Amino acid sequence: MEETRRGTVTSLASLFPVGEAQKAANRVQYAIAEKRAELDRLLGFIDDNNNLINLVHKLPEELSHDIMVPFGKAAFFPGRLIHTNEFLVLLGEGYYAERTSKQTTEILKRRGKGLDSQLDSLEAMIKDLQAEAMFFGQTIAEAAEGLVEIREDYIEDSHKGETKSGPLKQDAPDLEKAKPDDEYARMLSRMDELEKEELAAESGGDNGKNEQTTEDVDDISYQRPVDNEPRNSEDFHKGAPPVDQANNKSMATKSVEKHCNPDIADQLNFASLDLQSNVREGKNAAKKVKFVDHIEKPLVHHEEKQVKAATASKSEVQHQPSQPSFDSHKAFTGSIVEHTENIKTSNGQSSTSSQVSGSQPSKPVSRFKMQRR
Amino acid sequence: MESFTQQKVQRYEEFVDRRLKPDLQRAIDERDKVFEQQKIFADLRRNIENLEKNSVTSLRTLVNLGSEVYLQAEVPNTQYIFVDVGLGFNVEFTWSEALNYIQNREERIAKQIDEYNQSIASIKAQIKLVLEGIRELLQLPAEKSLPERSF
Repeated sequence: MEETRRGTVTSLASLFPVGEAQKAANRVQYAIAEKRAELDRLLGFIDDNNNLINLVHKLPEELSHDIMVPFGKAAFFPGRLIHTNEFLVLLGEGYYAERTSKQTTEILKRRGKGLDSQLDSLEAMIKDLQAEAMFFGQTIAEAAEGLVEIREDYIEDSHKGETKSGPLKQDAPDLEKAKPDDEYARMLSRMDELEKEELAAESGGDNGKNEQTTEDVDDISYQRPVDNEPRNSEDFHKGAPPVDQANNKSMATKSVEKHCNPDIADQLNFASLDLQSNVREGKNAAKKVKFVDHIEKPLVHHEEKQVKAATASKSEVQHQPSQPSFDSHKAFTGSIVEHTENIKTSNGQSSTSSQVSGSQPSKPVSRFKMQRR
Repeated sequence: MESFTQQKVQRYEEFVDRRLKPDLQRAIDERDKVFEQQKIFADLRRNIENLEKNSVTSLRTLVNLGSEVYLQAEVPNTQYIFVDVGLGFNVEFTWSEALNYIQNREERIAKQIDEYNQSIASIKAQIKLVLEGIRELLQLPAEKSLPERSF
């Protein structure tokens, strides 16, 4: 059952072309430099203000001071400062206020506070710009390394994996019952083992059976980190061999397929479908991921994140599927009520009880369905 | 040939942008500074002449302490005035001496301004020359064809 791989592989370099990212980084650096200059100016103002406060405070100590009185820009007169307690302060827009030394210091202190708040806002802006610059620097480095962003669509297959039940089912309730932390630890250890196996067998690289199913699994697992935490996926990519990671992973999963029993894969799908019938929509994906983690190896770090997401949703979901899973133990297929009824009705049919014959006319239809399955 | 002319054109343009235009900018800035100096001394001269005319012996001013905070100051004797003669020196002058000095100073400043004007003009002329050269290079193919057509 070979299927063409759905989805896109985009290299980070195409998303963020190195040249443009460099230009953006330069622009941000330029903005940072500008802001720094502003910062220095502000600091100068604050210094001046403080000096002035000291001066205004000290002047009234003497009746008059001998000074050189400037006359224009290029000439001085020797003279005296008089009325040393009367200061004329510019309030703005050509308005002045005549104030004493104490009042002037208060005015200047208020001005200083305004300057300080300006300084704080400038510093915050500089921090933001620096964070931006760091991000650009990172993307440039990553794009230069040739990282790829892999996006694959998740497709629900309803007709797959109806073949077997069994041990995997038992795994399911166990997992649900187990506490999230224990499960997480167990999964991690299991994944480590599987990873070793996979690395040993990676040279084989045959297309395993049920590629479709693993693909689905891959889809979910890849989709999660791409959607939620692109950074983490990039980190993970850094850890993995840089050469065509998408293919590596698919090959790895295929090789794992080879090693693991085909049963397991089927059971995996089966269990996932089982859950699918129980839980709807988004939580489906989380559950599937959870089971994938348990079995599939190469998605190590992804699983960590997904497990976290999964455990969150899982705790919600735990209550719901507990009952249906018990039902699934009794029934053979994924769906719950219908099948048990069918079994009963089929038994009833064989015994030809009047009650059974008197019940709904849909009986023969469901029996055929059962036979088909 | 086309690429050769293109190359030359590009080189000329670069020369203009990188050497001549900044030179022009710098010359203009220096000239502005000298303009300022000229204005300062012109104001000073006018003020001293005013003081002399009104025979002011003492005056009250407001001294800027910084950040536009003013304090009253009194000049009891306006006999002597200290003028900044450059390099951080201030020379004590009487009125007439000061006026004399300021006049000399102003003449020197005017000469400096003339020099700067000349250099600015020459730089502008150079820029124009290069631009004309570029235009010639670009128009040359067209120009050659024109006289043929006129026949």
